[in-house]
Amino acid sequence: MGHQHEKVSHLDAKLTPPPTATLDKALKAMTAVVGSGAVFATEEDRDAYSDRFPIDPHRHRPFAAIAPTTAEEVQALVRIAAAHRVPIWTVSRGKNLGYGTAAPVVAGSIVLDLSRMQKIEVDVENATVLLEPGVGFFDLYDYLQTRNIPLWLSVPGNSWGSVIGNALDRGLGYTPYGEHTRNLCGMEVVLPDGEMIRTGMGAMPNAPSWQLHKYGYGPAWDQLFVQSNFGIVTKAGMWLMPTPEVVRGFDVEMDRMEDLGPLIDTIGPLRREGVLQQSPTIGNWFRAANILTTRHQWTDQPGSLSDEVISAIRKQFGLGWWGVSLRLYGRATVVQANLDILEKALNAIKPMSMKPFTWRPGDPIAPTAGGWMGVPMTFPMQSANWFGGRGGHIGFSPVLTQSGKLAMEQFNRTYARYKEFGMDYQASFAFGERHMLNVNAVLLNLDDPQFMKRVDPFLRTLIADAKAHGYGEYRAHIDYMDLVSDCYDYNHHALRRLNERVKDALDPAGILAPGKSGIWPAAYRKERKA
Amino acid sequence: MIRLVLIALSVLSWTAVQAAEPDGQQLFHRKCAMCHGAVGMGTGLLARRMKPEVAQLEKRDDLSAAYVERAARIGVLNMPPITRGDVSDAQLALIARYLSKGKP
Repeated sequence: MGHQHEKVSHLDAKLTPPPTATLDKALKAMTAVVGSGAVFATEEDRDAYSDRFPIDPHRHRPFAAIAPTTAEEVQALVRIAAAHRVPIWTVSRGKNLGYGTAAPVVAGSIVLDLSRMQKIEVDVENATVLLEPGVGFFDLYDYLQTRNIPLWLSVPGNSWGSVIGNALDRGLGYTPYGEHTRNLCGMEVVLPDGEMIRTGMGAMPNAPSWQLHKYGYGPAWDQLFVQSNFGIVTKAGMWLMPTPEVVRGFDVEMDRMEDLGPLIDTIGPLRREGVLQQSPTIGNWFRAANILTTRHQWTDQPGSLSDEVISAIRKQFGLGWWGVSLRLYGRATVVQANLDILEKALNAIKPMSMKPFTWRPGDPIAPTAGGWMGVPMTFPMQSANWFGGRGGHIGFSPVLTQSGKLAMEQFNRTYARYKEFGMDYQASFAFGERHMLNVNAVLLNLDDPQFMKRVDPFLRTLIADAKAHGYGEYRAHIDYMDLVSDCYDYNHHALRRLNERVKDALDPAGILAPGKSGIWPAAYRKERKA
Repeated sequence: MIRLVLIALSVLSWTAVQAAEPDGQQLFHRKCAMCHGAVGMGTGLLARRMKPEVAQLEKRDDLSAAYVERAARIGVLNMPPITRGDVSDAQLALIARYLSKGKP
């Protein structure tokens, strides 16, 4: 390996934890608000709220966690944190595996766990829901199913977590509602000084349109509470999808590595035009094997999987180098018309296989098809066992355009790096309406210290390669928030300086999630790393 | 009866996900079955290490309550630890009693 892999890891630097005496005092005051049954501060609790898919499990250990059940309790806890100047790190359910789980950027923070805030209010006629952050995808799904409410949610590949939390981290699903942050409509937010606000139409106390109109009047604040540390969202509205009359489409496999470009150039125009309204995700040959098998079943060789192994995997699962599930939703006559257009476009690029799909209400939904049908799932996380023991994944997800040529170039660069660092290549290209996310997973082998030492330099190399071409990430693990934010550096980091001016104005005590998304309050600004 | 009332009010008013005082089986289905049901990460991975027909925790007859509680709190292999914010000690005790079928 080249010399750049041997440089000292930047992850070794320790962040300053607040003094224990201060934390103890703050926690005692917080306990008086929520009761001792909602305060968790044993060594086991600290481990449980640490990162489960970590590069270094000790780096982000919190001091304690506390679980309020009402927004009023959140207000009281925030005021106590500000008075004692102790950092708090909010999680909705704390299941953000691959991005830090429940762990804070600054070790020694108090985790504010909103798991116990679980209220749901569905407006069936208008297809919206008002949720508290502790509601998970499975909770909302069960709620809708048991009441026969004809509304669908969109779910991410790991649906264990919170509906609101995932939208606030710009998580992704696979239906026409797959860009989850776009479904947000109206929030209730506790600001760092404890004041409560409602955004959009919610600022009018009697408005019947809080979950219907996203903007209200004047500046629209919802997105300022997404991937930020400006406030704690205690309720949010989300748009749900009316159950379609029919879902149809094709499961498409493309034989060769170089088929990625034409596939993207076929899907892109249909997505931009609106023939395709879902968020199609092109995945490589690895997507079944790492869930259903372990590496030892294929090879004992270290380094990236060889072309021979790739061929064997593809043969066993009947996969191309790339595959994509394209789905059309809605009224049968409209879907039929769009299906004809889609089929013609796909045939022109000669897929290796093209399997038709049809679902109508009442038909069973196979567990593996759940992602396109809004059914929550956890089985994709079986990839954590790819190396046979303790594992996990960390993402590298730059924002690309929908150009097949540019995506192919980015793929070639990235795949070469995977081989150089001896990693098994798992990637997807996920369409937005105009952009495309190249979601790469780095599968971890937590039982192999030598392997783990390569992960940080590998990620840093990928981030630097992407930055050189103008590609920044849409989301980051807590270890990489500074580095990713550092890529967005127009006019000497003018955007970050604006974020931090807002941060200092709203949170002068610097208590709310310091370091989140690379935004540091004045008191912690020296902690920034890159 | 409580449940019927909740369903009737569901569209009109705030409704908690959990009805009052669920039992161990209900808690298992709400808190664990997403991974340990028929299809899920837990069942899928346990099927690699034991007979697939008993990979679902509800089909096991060798679980003690103490083991279930420890496994949930510290996490086993790829299972993340279950925080006390997500599942309280009292709730976990009910789940453990249900899965252990009476064994301490």
